[in-house]
Amino acid sequence: MEKLVRPHISPEKNQKKMQKDAILKAIFRIAAIISGGAIAVIVVFVFMRGVQPFLPGYENGQVNFLDFLFGTLWRQDQGIYGVGFIVINTLLTSFGALLISFPLSVLTALFIVKIAPKWLSKVMTTIVELLASIPSVVYGVFAAGAITTLVISLASSMGMSTAGGNSFLAVVLLLAIMIFPTITSLSITAISSVDRALEEGSLALGATKTQTNFKVVLIAAKSGIFAGAILGIGRAFGEATAVAMVAGNKMFGPTFNLFDITRTLTSTMLSGLKETTGLDYDIRFSVGLVLMVVILVSNLLLNLVKKKVGNMS
Amino acid sequence: MKIKTGNQNKRRFYDGILQALTYLSSGISVLVLVALFVFIFSRGWSSINMDLLTNNYWSENYNVEPVSEVADTTFERPADLSEEAYFSEKWGVAFVDHVNAHKEEMILVEYIDENSPLYAMSDVSIRSNPQDFTMQVGMQVSRLSYTNEQGDTQLAGIGGQTAQDVAQALDQATSVNSMFIQTTGGGIRGSIISTFYLLLVSLVIAIPVGVASAIYLNEYARKSKFNMMLRSGIETLTGVPSIVFGLMGVTVLFPVTQLFGATTTSILLGGLTMSIILLPTIIRSTEEALLVVPQHLRDASLSVGANQSQTIFKIVLPCAVPGILTGVLLGIGRVIGESAALIYTMGTFINDSPTLLSQGTSLAVQIWSIMSGEQPNYELACAISIIILFFVLILNFAVKIISKRFSKAWY
Amino acid sequence: MENVIFDVKNLNLFYGEKQALIDLNMQIEKNAITALIGPSGCGKSTFLRCLNRMNDLIDGCRVEGDIRMEGKDIYKGGWNVVDLRTHVGMVFQKPNPFPMSIYDNIAYGPRCQGIKDKKTLNQIVEQSLQRAALWEEVKDRLKDSAYGLSGGQQQRLCIARAIAMEPEVILMDEPTSALDPISTNKIEELATELKNDYTIVIVTHNMQQAARVSDYTAFFLLGEMVEFDKTSVIFQNPSDKRTEDYITGRFG
Repeated sequence: MEKLVRPHISPEKNQKKMQKDAILKAIFRIAAIISGGAIAVIVVFVFMRGVQPFLPGYENGQVNFLDFLFGTLWRQDQGIYGVGFIVINTLLTSFGALLISFPLSVLTALFIVKIAPKWLSKVMTTIVELLASIPSVVYGVFAAGAITTLVISLASSMGMSTAGGNSFLAVVLLLAIMIFPTITSLSITAISSVDRALEEGSLALGATKTQTNFKVVLIAAKSGIFAGAILGIGRAFGEATAVAMVAGNKMFGPTFNLFDITRTLTSTMLSGLKETTGLDYDIRFSVGLVLMVVILVSNLLLNLVKKKVGNMS
Repeated sequence: MKIKTGNQNKRRFYDGILQALTYLSSGISVLVLVALFVFIFSRGWSSINMDLLTNNYWSENYNVEPVSEVADTTFERPADLSEEAYFSEKWGVAFVDHVNAHKEEMILVEYIDENSPLYAMSDVSIRSNPQDFTMQVGMQVSRLSYTNEQGDTQLAGIGGQTAQDVAQALDQATSVNSMFIQTTGGGIRGSIISTFYLLLVSLVIAIPVGVASAIYLNEYARKSKFNMMLRSGIETLTGVPSIVFGLMGVTVLFPVTQLFGATTTSILLGGLTMSIILLPTIIRSTEEALLVVPQHLRDASLSVGANQSQTIFKIVLPCAVPGILTGVLLGIGRVIGESAALIYTMGTFINDSPTLLSQGTSLAVQIWSIMSGEQPNYELACAISIIILFFVLILNFAVKIISKRFSKAWY
Repeated sequence: MENVIFDVKNLNLFYGEKQALIDLNMQIEKNAITALIGPSGCGKSTFLRCLNRMNDLIDGCRVEGDIRMEGKDIYKGGWNVVDLRTHVGMVFQKPNPFPMSIYDNIAYGPRCQGIKDKKTLNQIVEQSLQRAALWEEVKDRLKDSAYGLSGGQQQRLCIARAIAMEPEVILMDEPTSALDPISTNKIEELATELKNDYTIVIVTHNMQQAARVSDYTAFFLLGEMVEFDKTSVIFQNPSDKRTEDYITGRFG
């Protein structure tokens, strides 16, 4: 048999191929390090910029850290930056949104997985996916144009007035809509991965289908549903553009009145963006840092709760 | 033990209520979606036309004077001119009334004869440096100063005058002294271009880096602590709010754009920032696709003397193309919809002639820009929203089709 | 045994903490068929994959000892991996053609070595398919996807793909376990034919197959090689009790 391939193969050539392999692997590795290290870079740099205003020798005059953290007044014009009430407002709006969205999401997920006929469940899944894919800024336009109108009429029916509908309530409603698809799709995953044997056990004991769905399926899926809630609240904290369109940016607080304007960490970061230097600019990084800490801490706490909840049964 | 019928009825009643609750919640989500679409479309649909896509956002102003005197000839009204246009036989020009997206009434040039003295004019906005100016159809006439047969100087086109008034005034004019011309603005041409630049920059960076990262994690990385850290780093990136990416962009990536000559925030900076935001999406969908490629194909390739690079590029990646495509499409959707990170990194100035190194707004940021002004322009914001929704929905649809077609492994 | 191609000395293989091969010593003869038999999990496939270093890909796999091919150590730098694999081809348990045309499947290996010339590639493809007794069946549809072939044809395609590299050794890892009896028969015939030009090491579950096709047989048990001898000796007069028990079907 004629040797056709052998003349083309040599150890030297294959040695080179292996060197090429090593180079390529190094390149891929660098890419992975860039991707995996980006988060560290973000944290470090935002931290470094964020703490600057509180360090002695800051060029625009040192800001007292405690005043910043616990302050209840935010006056850019007067150079007073207190982020305390903003944190409270952020927590209030986000948890308020969760309060509305969580039951609706879970029930919708249950409907899609267990109750709806197949065609309807497909339609509903598509609707949830559509809601998830609508960009933040479009929700913002909707909120500024429609939700505010709703809030105005609600307020006037209760004899209250609002600042053009921009309000605590509007933010809560907007965020509730925005985190709905997140929680729903995670709940769908959780509910559909519940073991069928569990359900059948319950049905065999004489429970109705609905009883089983509520008392067995939901409880079995609670860990996954809770994970959805955690993801949802994270999204609510970080949502910026849409919230900024209806928050109204109150200068002091905290805001407890549903029809009063409010101010969240993200809306603060987007307000008065004209400046590109100075304290007014740098303080934004401090607010960003606070936002990251809020998200991190609440995630940790909620995960603790989740573990507790997961262990109970 | 006997189960009472009364109990059963009670049970059925409660079951009914619980069921109804799930129907209700699902109904609410449908309602919200419908409300959103109805709102956006009812406010924005009327503004959607070619002009919106091709016009600049800012209107330009010209103060122009004719260079030639009016001739004795009269012009003929073109046969195809619409009924609503008012034609001046003396000057060979026709005007129409128009209401723009801002609900402002205005008079537009509907027709201009090339021999008309109002066709080739001189732009004297800067007295010392007059420029040639050509009157074009679609330009807005906001003031016209002329001399009538009595020799008086008169103004037309101001204060609620209609196209008809201007056309009639012109027919009585012996000469036109000056005209104040505006081009129509309110368009999104600049933002469309910016969005394309943005997509270009972010995808050109995110695709290779993301795909390479996924390949490293899936094909090379052994289970070491370091690699686990990389994985969780990428995972965490998904949860970072986009506004924080904006902060990162202006501190970490701005110096990078300076190397290319950027002096302010720029589209390039926005693109770089977006590429970081896209990384987790592209990595995840690429990895999902790589995981499905059966190990025995890699074995087969290596067993015939291919090295690992050849195996990856000739066998593994071609199999993973649908997954990568899914990631890219999702990424495009993300770029089109992103606003918060871009407000920081690209600025909010709507730029009609954007370049990579200039500021500019993507479509989404333009919405933010016009919504955060003194007088929010809902019509334009909703019109742009429709365009964004259109693209996002198409992309989602495409992703669904791709994943449906390729979900069943064919090897 | 005068014509030795593989010389294995004191081979130990670990998966993490678990030892999968224990102190293996073995010589494999050139241009002969050596069968590796034993119950599943005994290490025969692991051993086979040592011979072209396919175990390299497995996380936490560690090899100690010597494997020499043609006198050069394959783990300690005598051969570089890629070169080694061009000399030691492999056919897998399940037919695993690439998702390409029949032609491209065969041409893949040669192309990876930088052969671009169309005429040479055509020649290689025809020659390899003929050697694998597949040419007559597929010569009119070389551009069709390899997935259109039957299981047995796919496996012969994989053999052709290995042959295309003109290796000295072909490793076969239970090549017929996924095939019907007729296809199995064809592969066995093919193996006997190929041994004139190639050394074949075949892992098999099927003792009749080992008895039918192989010249030498090694019996593996729990990571150890219990017995290795001429096939006729192993099957008719095994010296170890465990071999006898296995062959007579008392366990396995």
